[in-house]
Amino acid sequence: MNFAGAETWLHKVNPSLKLGILMVLCLVALFIHDSNYMMNVTIGVLLLFLCFSGHSIKHMLFLFVPFCFIFISTSSAMIFFGKGETLWFKWGLISVTEESFMRGLLVGFRAMLFAALGLTFSLTTRPVNLFYSLMQQVKLKPKYAYSFMAALRLIPIMMEEFHMIRNAMKVRGFARSTGIKAIYFKLKAYSIPLLSGSIRRAHRIAVAMEAKRFTDTAHRTYYYEYGFSRKDQVFILYFIIVLLAGFYLAIHFPLLPK
Amino acid sequence: MKMERIAAVEKLRLKFPGEGALLFKDLTVSIDKGEKVLLLGPSGSGKSTLLQVLSGLIPQSIEVPMKAEQLKCPASWGFVFQDPDSQFCMPFADEEIAFVLENLCVPKEEMREKIQYYLNQVGLKLSDIHTSIDTLSGGMKQRLAIASVLALEPEVIFLDEPTAMLDPQGTKEMWEMLKEVGHDKTVIIVEHKIDHVLEFIERIVLFNDAGQIIADGPKENILSRYKNEMKEYGIWFPGVWDDYIQEHEIIREHSIHDGASILQLRDFGGFRKKEAKIKVEQLSVHKGEWIVIKGENGAGKSTLLHALMQFIHTTGKYELAGTPIKKVKNPTDYLTFVFQNPEFQFVANSVYEEIAYSLRINKKHPQEIAVRVQELLDVFQMEAHQANNPFQLSMGQKRRLSVAASIVIDKPIILLDEPTFGQDSKNTFALLEWFEEYRSRGVTVIMVTHDDHISDHFATRVWTVKDGHVISDQNVTQQPRVPMAEAYIF
Repeated sequence: MNFAGAETWLHKVNPSLKLGILMVLCLVALFIHDSNYMMNVTIGVLLLFLCFSGHSIKHMLFLFVPFCFIFISTSSAMIFFGKGETLWFKWGLISVTEESFMRGLLVGFRAMLFAALGLTFSLTTRPVNLFYSLMQQVKLKPKYAYSFMAALRLIPIMMEEFHMIRNAMKVRGFARSTGIKAIYFKLKAYSIPLLSGSIRRAHRIAVAMEAKRFTDTAHRTYYYEYGFSRKDQVFILYFIIVLLAGFYLAIHFPLLPK
Repeated sequence: MKMERIAAVEKLRLKFPGEGALLFKDLTVSIDKGEKVLLLGPSGSGKSTLLQVLSGLIPQSIEVPMKAEQLKCPASWGFVFQDPDSQFCMPFADEEIAFVLENLCVPKEEMREKIQYYLNQVGLKLSDIHTSIDTLSGGMKQRLAIASVLALEPEVIFLDEPTAMLDPQGTKEMWEMLKEVGHDKTVIIVEHKIDHVLEFIERIVLFNDAGQIIADGPKENILSRYKNEMKEYGIWFPGVWDDYIQEHEIIREHSIHDGASILQLRDFGGFRKKEAKIKVEQLSVHKGEWIVIKGENGAGKSTLLHALMQFIHTTGKYELAGTPIKKVKNPTDYLTFVFQNPEFQFVANSVYEEIAYSLRINKKHPQEIAVRVQELLDVFQMEAHQANNPFQLSMGQKRRLSVAASIVIDKPIILLDEPTFGQDSKNTFALLEWFEEYRSRGVTVIMVTHDDHISDHFATRVWTVKDGHVISDQNVTQQPRVPMAEAYIF
């Protein structure tokens, strides 16, 4: 997780609203069955992501590599092996028909859209900001919000511990033993210290939080306060335009065969 | 003059679940407003637990069955814990202090100013208050912890070994800072390294290993009268090294090495994330040397050990017993390594199996294993605990076990990363004597440590690391009562 990109207006959109809208769009995407429409919406979201996430192109392309792989793998499976009437090409088990081709693209674009939505959200929202906003706008209990935030702090610590354990294994001569028993041993040797360490840490943090007078009352002030602004309207408007314009273009100027 | 009582407990009885005996039986202690009190005693005597009872953390946050005829907890208090890493719940420095201010319902508008104020008080100079906690050093983290405690505006501050994870310089600075910020507050401290605390406190409460208070009074009285008890309990009272040196003649045999070097480095570099973190121009190490690696935090001492162990990518010439490192199949055939945190190297369910582990991997004969393990259990005084799970041991026992498990198969070189860190004096001397015993058998000891006493009295050679370079390589010549055999020439 690297949030080192520049801040853009997308960062300033209310995190709860952002999460809500992007989740609704994911749902909407499930009900789009027209490849042209799907493609237009995906391009719309990708444009937003590429122009306003505040990260360098290099960084974004790097993040997109796995998603391109998903696009190709999901769509190709559907294109090569899907059923259809109008046969374009056949070679052994592989048969490409018009219907399978269109459906393949639909599935591929859908995967791409999910990826773009997810990345847009995660690259422009710090978890801390999301939880602060959830406490204020969605009335999430502070108990849960702060537990999540404290847990996020443990992840880099666990990564460091993992490296240390791996080195310790080398010293004790783990690499030399092979076979199923060794795998079981390794699994145990990594997981027990990692888990016991985390449980101990979690308990200590919980005690430290209570020592700092954290209680589960709803009454507290917030260091980061979130309301709604013009940027939220722009954000909502953008997606309405994408959905409507995409629909219009898909009907009147379809790029893919109908 | 009658002082106001601020924290007190009368006839406290407390027992941890699963343990046979009571930790405290009818313990009574009382602390007045404005007092600076140090709780001293052997590890495991319940000092930290008492601190938690007096603050009210037990039983409110930590559920431990307890009973007391009277218990008075201060109305406003703050608690600083040992481990800097496990007392923060937020990722950034300003957010951590803001968390406290939020709990106290301080209006948002006042927060930034207050955060800046508390950071200034503890002398934590950050160019931007929105700095990630992960990028702070141990000392800075503890300062931040104290800043967030000060944000509670407490009458009483409880300090549970706040400098346990800090180097000597960090420890000193920490107590100087606490003297400033704590002068008008009641401060109750648990600490093993008492050199710098002594200037700060007035009263000492001394515990024995049965959880009883054996002395309570002004620091001068306690320090002069109970020296022997403190020595027995392994407390680092001032002058403990001098006493040790007087009692133990350190005999050095410098003539162990036979001229051939066991480890050779030339234009050697260690890399982390493609960045050179440590550079060595030329060094060679002989049998039976005890090398201490010194340097400031972050200078690259541990990195040097990691490079020698081949945990990280290295370049240049590196030979072990005349074999280039590229040809060495397992560097661990020559080297063993003891980590700073012993917990990360435990792999077995019992102390016995932990020590036997490397022998079993090497398919040694069961009888041979039994003999060797028994021998080590004996040497490291772990026999009584041989069936226990390594994680159940005390700090000192864990350290001893990690050393025992690392040296179970004789290796010519043993590398140690701060092996005496956080150990009481008894354990420290015991460990040092064991290392000396191995050294005298021709094993090479290479050790990262901040402790100047070790480099003065045990090391035969000191390397100083600064900014990723080994800048000096000196033989320790002034050994008490033993003439220097010969100087090494490099």
